Order: sequence, then C-alpha cells, then structure tokens
Amino acid sequence: MNAVLKVENIGISFGSNDVLKSLSFELGENEVLGVIGPNGAGKTVMLNILTGILKPTKGSIIFQGKNITDRTITERCRMGFGRTFQVPRPFEKMTVFENVIVGGVYGDQLREKDAKRRALEVTEIIGLGDKKDWFAGKLGLLDRKRLEIARALASNPKVLLFDEVAGGLTESEVSDILGIVRMVKEQGVSVVWIEHVLKTMREGTDRVLCLAEGRNVICGLPDEVMESKEVHEVYLGAEEE
Amino acid sequence: MQFNFNEDSRSKFKWGILVLLLAILCTLPLWAPEYFVMVFMLIFLYMALGQMWNLLAGYTGLVSLGQQIFIGLGGYSLAVITELYDLPMLLGLFVGGVISVIFALVISQPIFKMRGVYFTIGTWIAAEALAVFFSNWTYVRSGQGFNITASYDLTTVDIYYIALVVGIGSVALVYFLLRSRLGLALMAMRDNESAAETMGIELYKTKLKCFLISAFVTGVAGGALYLSIAYIQPFAAYSIDWTVAMVFMVIIGGIGTLEGPIIGAVVYVVLKQFLYDYPGISMIILGVLAVAIILIAPKGIMGTLHDRYGIEFLSARRRSKDVESAA
Repeated sequence: MNAVLKVENIGISFGSNDVLKSLSFELGENEVLGVIGPNGAGKTVMLNILTGILKPTKGSIIFQGKNITDRTITERCRMGFGRTFQVPRPFEKMTVFENVIVGGVYGDQLREKDAKRRALEVTEIIGLGDKKDWFAGKLGLLDRKRLEIARALASNPKVLLFDEVAGGLTESEVSDILGIVRMVKEQGVSVVWIEHVLKTMREGTDRVLCLAEGRNVICGLPDEVMESKEVHEVYLGAEEE
Repeated sequence: MQFNFNEDSRSKFKWGILVLLLAILCTLPLWAPEYFVMVFMLIFLYMALGQMWNLLAGYTGLVSLGQQIFIGLGGYSLAVITELYDLPMLLGLFVGGVISVIFALVISQPIFKMRGVYFTIGTWIAAEALAVFFSNWTYVRSGQGFNITASYDLTTVDIYYIALVVGIGSVALVYFLLRSRLGLALMAMRDNESAAETMGIELYKTKLKCFLISAFVTGVAGGALYLSIAYIQPFAAYSIDWTVAMVFMVIIGGIGTLEGPIIGAVVYVVLKQFLYDYPGISMIILGVLAVAIILIAPKGIMGTLHDRYGIEFLSARRRSKDVESAA
C-alpha cells in the first residue's frame, strides 16, 4: 500500500487521563478507512490530533513523507487536510455558495474568481445546486452535512476526515452520504471516517480500524473486523469462561 | 426558506437611493439649519466609532472595552500637532490614526494572549493606564489638558464635512473589506471560529489586521470629535463612556451587520439630543432601551430584520448568479 498518511504511535493525556495511549495506522492513497469504537475510545480526539486542534504528547504524523506533527491547523488545511464535525458547523449567516468559496480561497489559496467557479461545481456535485443561495443556517441536517463535505472538497483535500457524517440521519439519507463518500473516493481523495453506524462501515469503507481505550484493537477488511472476536469483546464485553 | 437575491433592477434602484442620499448629505449644510448639521456631524463620527467596534466584536469576536485608547490618542495627537507644533489640523488627524496603529501593534502582543473576557478587561485596563499616564505627563500638560485652538477657526460646516468623510469612509471601508478576501474570513469567523480555522483561515493574523484598521479609523474619528469639542483632558479622553456608546449603538443596530452601527448611531445621537436637558436620567433611559432591545430583538434592529425578512441594505454577498452569468 502506498501510504498518504502514517500515524506512528501517537498518544495524548489530559492530566492523568491517557485518552490515546498508543495509536498507529496507515492510510493508503484513494482509500476509505473506517474507524469504529465505543464511546470514549478516543476517535474524535484522534481526528482533532490529525487536524492539529490537539497536539499529541507522543508519536508523530507523517503526511506524504513529511512529518507534520508540529504543523498548525491552517497549515495542515492548506497541505490538504479537510474535515467535517460531529455536529456540523456551517457558517450560518453565509449562503451555501459563500461557505464553499471559503474552502477554495483559504483552503486551496485560490483567487476568489476561481474559488467561485469551483464552488459552483462542487455544490452541483454534492447535491446542493438548487440550494446554493440559501443561508446555511436554514439547511436541514443532511444538507448541513453535505455542505461541510462540499466546503472541505472545495479546499482540494488529499485526506478528508469525516466525524460521524452519517450520525442522526435516516436510512435513505445514509445511502445519500454513502454515495457522496464513493464520489469523494472517485476523485482520488483518501478518507478517514469515524462512524457508529456499523452498516455504513461495511458498505462504505475499504478497511476498518477498531479503537478501544486509546489503542487500536484490530484493523482489516470491514467484514473481518466486524466479525472478529476482538470487536465483539470491545462492544459487548468478553464472555466468561 | 430561500434567500432571494435582488434583481439587477432592484440593485440599481438601491444604488440610486444611496447616491441620492449621499448627494443630500453632501449638500445638507446648504439648506439645513446649523443645529441639524451639528447633529449629522455627530451621527457620522459616532457611526465611524460604531463601525470599528462592530468590526472587532461583531466579526472577529474581540470584545474591546478599550476603544477610548484610540479616541484619546487621536484627540491628543491633534492637540499636540496643532498646539505645540503649529502644524496643519489635517496632519494632526492623520498622525492620530498612525499613532493609534502603532500603539495597537504594541499592546496587541500581550493583549492578544488573553482570551474572551480577559481580553475585554485587558483593553479596559490599558485605557485606564493611559489616562493615569497622560494625567502625569507634563509634555501633554498633565491633567490640565489642551484647548484645541485650531478648531476655533473651523465652522460647524467645516467639521461636518470632515465627519462626513470619516463616517461614510468608515462604512465604505467595512463594505469593501467584507467584499474582499479578508471579508470572507471575517464573515466565516463571525459565524464559527473553530470551523473557520480548520478551513485555513489564520485567526491571529485576521484579528490583528482588524485591530489595526479599527485603531486607525477610531484614532482619526477621535481627532475629528475633539475638533468639535475643542478641549481635551486625560480622564475625559480615555473615559470608558466612549466605548459604552459604541456598544450601545452596535447592540441597538445589530452586531455583525454593516447597517447596524449606522442605525445605532442615528438612534444614539438623536436620543442624546432629546435627553440633553435630562442629564440625570438620560443614561437610565438609554440603558433601559438597550435592555429592552436585547430582550425583544437580541440581534438588534438589522439582525432581526435580516433573520426574519432577509433584509440587507448594504449587501456584501457573493452571488452565484454573477458567476453563472459570467460563464
């Protein structure tokens, strides 16, 4: 596998609480890596470390051969990291179109004229073409999630980090999101996708990594991971002998 | 609810109204009584102050209680340049802006390390410290202050035109700022700072730019205000009352909107004129009004009109149809 991102033995503590003890994984080019694990496993903390919001107390992050552990949030964005949030954070008083322009202008350092053209394309691709002049604050949950993906895509990312992008959606909405993830992959973007909805992990990912208590428990093909004893133990607890 | 962009004709009509309004304001001294001219002069100057406080608090989240620093520096620069060096009054206004920027740059280093309410208190303390320092600084005649005699040669109309340039200039500045690349960052930061940062917006640099712009314009407006007051002394120049007025105007008009400080300045100055004969209760009435607006329309007059009806008079929006029609 040609790795675009390597996470090597990262850990982080808040006081005496080791939220991530030792996490390592690789993300291949054009790969969708699902991340599962129970609440408190450290999934969102991991995303915050990858985007630079949190600084790991140990370990390193290698992106396209460069150590980016000490890079700032904005530097990482400009290098090619895009993300969505567990609870979407659109720029509510801006229109959908303007939200997406921000991604092009600041994330990919485009001139505004070019960013506007890209915003038109991206809003169409993502399915927000008919709502591009809506204020983002007026969008429903699915469209807010779409908008976050569109905004991230406009920054021309190499790696996209999805934080429970299918959470809180209906079954048909989840299949819309799956379609968007496939489309993102077709565009050559690698994805790290945290999710609780295990069905989407089976259908939408190439590999799945299971986290528990700040460590990686198992990583492999979705079906293998879902059926593994380790994952059952993590979610349901170990059976007594 | 769909946001309805204005049609081209509506947009032209809007710009027509603005040009007409500007023409009326430019010719106001030719046909209006002097009292009216004086009231509008104050509106323009307070409008500039409100725009700059709004630029900080409304867009970058920097809630400053120390904007009087720049009013004082602007006023004192004018006084020193004209009284001690006998140089032109306009140079005094410009130097006031420049000194404000330099001072803002110096204090930004410690003050930007403070977050939220600590930043607010920090700016206030800096202003109080300046008041004490100036009241003991013999170069600026300590607590005695200056009579700004350069203003004696100016008529109300002269100061009106200076105020017009400063007031309209501040609105135009913020408008074009919002239309620029920096404006995109400001609007994104206003709506969600953490999301803006993950989109590649550098919060510190953007905030610093706004702090410096705000310092310059407030410094110039402060100088222009002291042209009309004609006397400056430290504790009045660095009084928190200036910033309280800015906060009032922006809250009444609508924080984070371009039109808010304009409406706020009109309401504030007109009310102050009506309450001029009741100094004991004027602040109480203004306070009650501010509380009432916060309760009824927490986003201020423009914020509420925008939320409920999508109304914007000075829109800095990027329109998708402009790109579509160009393509």
